[in-house]
This record gives sequence, C-alpha cells and structure tokens, in this order.
Amino acid sequence: MTSGIQKVNKLIIYVLLSVFAIVSLLPLYWVFSTSLQLSSYQDEELERQVSYVDSNPPKMYPVGITEYFEHWGKARDAESAGDAEAAAYHRDVMDYIIEDTFSGFTTLFNKNNVGIWFFNSFYIAVVVTIGILLFDSMAGYVLAKKRFPGRNLIFWSIIATMMIPGQVTLVPLFIMVRNFGIMDTHWALIFPDLAMVFGVFLMRQFMHSIPDELIDAAKIDGASEWKTYWKIILPLAKPGLAALGIFTFMNVWNSFLWPIIVLNDADLYTLPVGLKTLQDANLASFKLLMSGAAIASIPMIIVFMMFQRHFVKGLTLGGVKE
Amino acid sequence: MKKWLSLFLISILVVGLLAACSKKENTTKDGGEDSEKEWTGTITVWDGPRWPDDKDNKFHWMESKIKEFEAAHEGVKVDLVQVPWAELPDKLGVSIAGQSWPDVAPVDISGSAVSIDHIEQGVIESVDDLFTEDELKDFYENALDAYTFDGKLYGVPNSLTVHAMLLNLDLFEERGVEPPANGEWTWDEFFAAAEKLTFDRDNDGKTDVYGFSTYILPGYYEAWPFFYINGGSPLNEDMSKFTFTEPEAVEAIQQLADLKLKHNVAPETLGGQDVGGTFQAWANEEQRTVAMQPWATWAISSAQTKYPTNFAVANYPTGKSGEPVTIGGVGGWTMFHQEDEGKKEMVGEFIKFISTTDEQFTMATEYGIFPARKSAADMDPYKDNPEMKRAQEMSSQVVMLPRHPEWKKIDEAIQTELQLVFNGEKTAEEAMKAAEKKVNELLGE
Amino acid sequence: MKPVHQTANAVVQTKKPTIWLQMKKNYSAYLFLLPKLILFIAFIAIPVVWAFIISFQEYKIFGSEWAGLDNYIKVFKSDAFYDALGNTFLFTVVTVPFNVISALIIASLIHPLGKLSQSFFRGAFYLPTVTSMVIVAMVWRWMYNYDFGLFNYVLGWFGIEPLNWLGQSSSALWALIIMQCLIPFGVGIILYLASMGSISNTLYEAATIDGANSFQKWYRITLPLLKPSTLYLVLLSTIGSFQVFTQIIMMTGGGPGTATETLVHLIYKTGFRDFEFGFAAAQSVVLFFIILLFSIIQFRLLRYDD
Repeated sequence: MTSGIQKVNKLIIYVLLSVFAIVSLLPLYWVFSTSLQLSSYQDEELERQVSYVDSNPPKMYPVGITEYFEHWGKARDAESAGDAEAAAYHRDVMDYIIEDTFSGFTTLFNKNNVGIWFFNSFYIAVVVTIGILLFDSMAGYVLAKKRFPGRNLIFWSIIATMMIPGQVTLVPLFIMVRNFGIMDTHWALIFPDLAMVFGVFLMRQFMHSIPDELIDAAKIDGASEWKTYWKIILPLAKPGLAALGIFTFMNVWNSFLWPIIVLNDADLYTLPVGLKTLQDANLASFKLLMSGAAIASIPMIIVFMMFQRHFVKGLTLGGVKE
Repeated sequence: MKKWLSLFLISILVVGLLAACSKKENTTKDGGEDSEKEWTGTITVWDGPRWPDDKDNKFHWMESKIKEFEAAHEGVKVDLVQVPWAELPDKLGVSIAGQSWPDVAPVDISGSAVSIDHIEQGVIESVDDLFTEDELKDFYENALDAYTFDGKLYGVPNSLTVHAMLLNLDLFEERGVEPPANGEWTWDEFFAAAEKLTFDRDNDGKTDVYGFSTYILPGYYEAWPFFYINGGSPLNEDMSKFTFTEPEAVEAIQQLADLKLKHNVAPETLGGQDVGGTFQAWANEEQRTVAMQPWATWAISSAQTKYPTNFAVANYPTGKSGEPVTIGGVGGWTMFHQEDEGKKEMVGEFIKFISTTDEQFTMATEYGIFPARKSAADMDPYKDNPEMKRAQEMSSQVVMLPRHPEWKKIDEAIQTELQLVFNGEKTAEEAMKAAEKKVNELLGE
Repeated sequence: MKPVHQTANAVVQTKKPTIWLQMKKNYSAYLFLLPKLILFIAFIAIPVVWAFIISFQEYKIFGSEWAGLDNYIKVFKSDAFYDALGNTFLFTVVTVPFNVISALIIASLIHPLGKLSQSFFRGAFYLPTVTSMVIVAMVWRWMYNYDFGLFNYVLGWFGIEPLNWLGQSSSALWALIIMQCLIPFGVGIILYLASMGSISNTLYEAATIDGANSFQKWYRITLPLLKPSTLYLVLLSTIGSFQVFTQIIMMTGGGPGTATETLVHLIYKTGFRDFEFGFAAAQSVVLFFIILLFSIIQFRLLRYDD
C-alpha cells in the first residue's frame, strides 16, 4: 500500500540516486564518447580538418551522431530535388563519418596481437577468479566458523600483509618467481594473483552472518566437512561470492604493472600491456587510448551483468526456526 | 601463542630458504665457449615502439635488424622484448634488482632508467673495447661525454636531443610580429614578441592567446635554458656547490615566472605539471592558445605530422651572457653485465650493428632524432626538413646536465621549489634558498 | 574439560596435549586453509618478510651490506617523509569515512527498489570502477584543467573566477580529496547490497509487526547486521587510502612543491628512481606500522559478536 507521501519519498529517492549515478558514470561515459569521437572531419565552416577529440570547450557527445543525421537529411532533400550529385556527396560523407567514428576501434582490432592479448587476459582472469572463489571461501569459512589453534594468528598475518605497499614487495616477489622458474610464463601472473588475500577477509566477514545452527544441524545429520561446505555454506554465500567474483575478475583484468615486469614474450602479453606497447613515447593519441580503455572494459561489463543476478534480496534460509 | 609464532616463522624460513637456494640464474643460455669458434646462444634485447611500417608494426625496424644479425651469425639468437617506453624504467629497475637484466637496453646513464650508481655496482659493462680511437672520432664529443663515467665509456650513443623554442608562425603573422632572423634573439626581443602575441581576439574581455608557456616537472628541462641565459647554472664546475642561488640564476628564474605573475603574457598554467596539456595548447588546432613554447626534439616531428602546424624553430633568447644556450640529452644503447667473454663480444657486435651510420641516418629520417654520428649528420637527413635542420644546428649550443650521482634527487629538490615560484607562492630567491638546504645535504654525501 | 578440583600439577601436564588434540580435532580446518596458505606463504608472506629483512640492509645488486637501523633513522630524519605523512593522513581521514558512509547510504537507497531499478543502479555505480585508475586520473586531470576543464566551466556559470586546482599548494591536495570522494565507492555499494541481500526477510517482518517504521528498521536491524561489511570496507579503504599512488603519479607528480606528496609515491621514488631499496623497505615498514595502528583501532571500534 503506497500512500501519497510514500510515492513522493520514492520519487525523491529516484531523483537523488539518478543524480549520483550521473556523477558516477561521467568518467566512463567520457571514455566511450571520446573513443567514438570524430577525429579528422572536414568542417565546412572552418574549411579544414577538425578533430573533436580535443575541442576547447569539449564536446560532450560523439559529434558523428548529429553530423550523420544532418547529412542524411541533406541527402534526402537533394534526392527529392533531383540533385543526384549532391545526394551522392552527402551519402559519401555519411560513410566517412561512420569510418572515422569507429577508427579508434578498427585501428586497434587490425593489430593482429590484440586478439591474442584479449584471450590471454580473459583466460587468466577466469582461472584466477575460479581459484579465488574456491580457495578464499574455503579459508574464509573456517576462519569465520571454526575455532582452532592459530586461527587468529593466521587471520592477522593475512591482514597485515595488505598493509605493506606493493611497490616494495615487487623485487622480492620477482626473485621468488624467477627462482621458481616461472618467469615469463602465465604462471607468474596466476600464482601471485591466487595468493591475493582481500577475498579471504571478505569471505570471512560474509560468512559470519551464516547461522551456526545450520552447520550444527548438518553435523548432526552426519554430513562431512566438505559436504557441509559445498552444499550448505556455499549456496548461502552466493551474494558474497558474486561480489568477490566481480572484484577479482576486475583486479586481474586491469592488472598492469606486474605483467609488464614479468612478461617478455609479446605473445604472452595481457591486453593492458599489449595496448601500451602500441603507444608512442611522448604523446598518445587520446582517442586511441580511450578506445583501448573501452575495449578493455567491455568484458568487465559483461561479467558484471552475469554475476549481479546473484545479489538476490531476501535469501530464504530455509530449515531454521527463528 | 609463542609456540605458534615460532612454528609459523620457521615454516616461512624453510620455504624461503628452499626457494632462495636456487642460485642466481643466468637468464641466457650459453652455447659453446670454444675460443676458436664464435659464441652461440641467446641475446636478450629490450626496445620500445618506434616508427610503424605499412602493417603498423612499431617494432619492425628492430625485428628486421635482428633477422639480419641472426643470418650473419649462425647459432646466435636474439630475443626482442617489446617494452612500452613509459614503463621501461620500472621494468628495468625491478629486473636489475632481481638480477635478471637484459643484455641490451635503449637507455642512457643519466639516471632516468639506469644511473651512475648502477655503473658503480658493476651492472653496466664498459664498451671501451668496442671502437677504435678513430672510430670514436665519428661520434659527437658531447654524445660520448654523456655516456662516459670515470674515464670509461658505458654505452653507444645513438641520438642527440636538444630543446628548442617552437614558434607558431600563423599567430606571428596575425599579430604582425617578425620571427627572429635565423632563430636568434635577445630576451628583450623575445619579451616584446610575447607581449604582442598576447591578445584578446574576439573582444570579450578574456585573453584568447598568450605569448609563452611551459611546465615545470622533475626530470624535464624545457624551461631550464632560460635559467642559464645570464650565466647561471645549478652546480659549479666541480659539482661541489649549489649555484642556483647566485643572482644570475635567481634573476633569470624570477624573470621567466614574472611573464605570468607581473606581465600577464603567460597563462595561469605556466609552471604547472601537465605536459600533454601544455603541448595541446600550442599544437592542437582546436586550441592554439599559446604562441611560443620550448620543447624537446620529438615535438618537432609531432608538429609536422600529428598536429600539423605552421611553425619555426628558434634558439632560446640570449641573456646577459650573450650566448644562446640549450639543454640536450643523449639516447643510445647500454650493455649489461656479462659473465661470459664470448657473449660479451657478440653483444658488442650487435650494438655496433644497430648503431652504424646508415642505421643512425634511418633513425634520423624516420624517427625524428638527431644522429650521434657526424657521418650520419653529414648525410644530411634533414635536407627536406628545415625545422629539424635548424634544431640540429643548435646541438653546438648544448649544455649537458651535471652528471652527479645524486642528480635525480638534486633535480627534484630544485624543481619542486621552482613550481612554487611559478605559481606565485615564493620568490625565486626564497625558493632557491630552500632548495639550497636540501641540495647541500645531497652534495655532502 | 577437566574438572576444576584436579591438582595444579595435573592441570599443567594436560595443557600440552590439549592443543595437539585441538589441532587433530580440527584437522579439516587446516585442510581447508591449505591451498590458500601455501600460495599466501610462497607469494606474499615470504616477499614481505624479505622486505623486512632488506630494510635493515643497504641493498646492492651483488651482495647487500648490513646497515642496522641506519635506514630507519634516515626515515625519521627526512622532512619529505613528514610532508608525505601529513598529506596522506589528511587524505585518508577525509575520504574513508565519506566513501564508506556514502556507499552505505546509496546502497540503502537502492536496496528496497524493484529488481530492474536495482540492476540499473548497481551497474551505474559499480561499472565505472572497471576503468583503471590510470584512465580515471586522466579524465579527472582533464576535468581540473584550468582553461576548459569541467570544474572551471561550472564555476564560470556562477561567475566565479577559475581556479588553478592542481597548480596551487592550497588547492591541489583538496582537489585530489574531492576527486576521491566523488568517485563512487562501487566496491562498497556492491558489498553492502550483497550483505543486505543476505539478511533474512523474517527479521523485517517481525519488526513490522512490532510497529517499526522504515528508518527504525534500517537503524536497528540493517545497520548492526552490516557491521562485518562495514569493518571490511573501513579497513580496506584505509589501507588503500594510505597507499594512494596512481593519482599522484598521473596528475601532480607530488607537486606543486610537496603539496601532494604521499607516502607510497615517496617509497616508489626511493626504490625505483633512486634505487635505494633498503631505504624504501624501511619506509614501507614504518608505513606498515602506521596502518596497523589504525587498523587495530578500527577493529576495536567496529567490533561485533564473534
């Protein structure tokens, strides 16, 4: 039953959230808008080639859209007026607009290696995400629910290592990787990533809220530890797992400095690294840069869409009397 | 609790010892060591993207050179590691600290990626035996100088860079200002030009174009020649004293900052930290809000290709010392510590192979850098490129930065204080006095 | 356990086996921990311990020299360290509470909405985080541009003079702080939403029966049950905030002067520009203890039933 006041409340909430959402989305929007911006377009007024990528003041949307429709209208008018030449001219411009708008993406995709880099990034991110979801939930579960000697020590050691800046463990880790013989292989990326600890902490926090009674009930029913974990704990932790999955995938997908340091073979490069090798020493083409960022973000967006279904409100914890 | 602590630490130690026990590996596989036969094995070379071929491959030059070299030396394989320029210092730093350095890298020894410290620790191989006295004469003195330490040569120079003033000729024309004849001018002439080139085009009360701008950032020296024009310099001859506190320098610094602070011929962003933004303001057709800016050589080719501009290259204006001055740098190849004599020779051969007159000529024409070899310069790579030619003539005015082992830190102490002069928070005198304290500590070490 | 009236001797003697017994009883717990623990020890713990050891040395490529406490003395004597500490501290103290609280508020506003709206807003607030901080920093550097950046553009509407955001000592750090506050804390929002999703509906139903209104439900049921997540977010963002780095490198280089110098930027320069790894390690250890102190305080404040 929504009363008048409640309706107004709801409206205010929507407005507020929308304002925040716009502020939040602005940089991402800017990335996509710039990647689709016209970068060498003949401007009739100014009588020269123009790049809208660096306009001052800046254009807030891909100009190609309005230009395209403008020329489409002109082409139609020309046709109805019987001026075939003008119509053809406008249609040519329309084609050119399409070409120039997507030029950032086509340039990048034409590079043979981009496909390989994309694949590398993807499978490494998937492998690490699965590994982390499994290992971290296992560790988080026992740290949250079991009492055993050394529990606090292990937990605090794990947290403590997050407080050391990565810059300073780069060299020792590099040496470790070299000594293990996995330098310049994907293992050098996968293993250190699987060791990341923020997920353990996250899972521990999450699993705290799982009622102990459920675990006890399972034990009474004679379930093994593994069965309890697999059949009861995991399904209940789905929202936390979904969150962790998204965070992990994103972290691995975007990781950049470490892969550059340990990889030497260009065929092994991940996407961010590979894209960087395409850039000149001094001034990157802004549009190309943004196109790279856009391409890199698309799988992330897809993964997010997939995982977020699991944030279902009001999970029923059946079988327990409150 | 104590028991667990010790158990835990012991287990860490054990795993650590096991891992560390694998001795420092040679990252390259060595072949035969027969002194009769040539050395065989694998050489690792790092390089960054250069100019693209028609397939848009920015590494094609190095790849083709490698193919030629491998064909000429049976059994020798050269691995190319493609490294983005911006990350090269970090990757190299970690690799050196982790004792996994490459054999060849495209760096100088000024400290941006590799420093005197590394030489002192034995990480860089000297290349003294690579060239004969006569062969060395083909290189410019200051190019060799920049790679010399303690009397030994630690790299092969490939290119010289200079900083030059770039002038937007369209704006000069618009305002009826004559660009300096042959690029030579005094500070007063420069100042007069800057004043005329600062104007409000559409009469809306806002200045649309400024005469001059540049930025201040540790590690960048576009603004520095201005500080030298009255005879000032950061350190004295034997690098024992900080001399930017001398009146010649302080005056010159304040003078440049006052372009914005007093005379309004430079925009608010003068002395800021945005390199890309500053260049866009000059080069980008959509902006063109600044008429004159100093840049290193790369900007010249950028202004000819990516951001076509009608421009001219000029000297920095002269000051009380009467002589035009600019700051230069050098680029080239360094060889890293080798365990095997045979390999060392082969690596040396490779470096020689990529630094011949022809290669340097190619680099000059395709990549837009000045060759370090006189013979390559004589081949007139810029006969069709007056701007590059003009800039190259400035090589004779080049003053190199002091090659003090702590230069990076000294530079940072100076530049951070300079930023405060240019944004008006300190006078040049106060800033340099503050820098003096920090620099003296560093000089004393 | 053992009855109290046992002699002291016997109690002492039985202490040892109890722990082993406990370990044996919980062997499955150790098994569950094992994969993570092995990876953790090999790739995180050992490098960290190594870093601690290096902090007592003067690191040289072909054999480091022992330096005792020299590096630490250097740390405490350097002005740059205190400048960086002050900046980093201010940055953390402002941005962490702001980000966590705003994440909480936004998540709370989203949670009761319909499925479609929820999906939309979740995406709107989390997706921007998929762009790396490098790109975000570039965009913000553009927004703070003096001549045509968004901020000065907006100031212009109100007739206010443009500000040299990143170029003046007085505003540079605050510009970075504002940036950090306005970048939505996507991780926080997602996590809070996930946690809210786990709270059983029956709790709310019972509260409704007792006559509680929305705000009371939120304050008395949701908030306390979110404590574990709050602790996680506060801790993690504190740790992250103390290590702020990418924005500094991309936008200001620590300037003007030392106005935006931060601890990790300093450490990075010490290690990668000056190649003084021992000194950098010492700086990191000091930073570690500072963060540890903060974390312990936060743990105590945000304690919940264990």
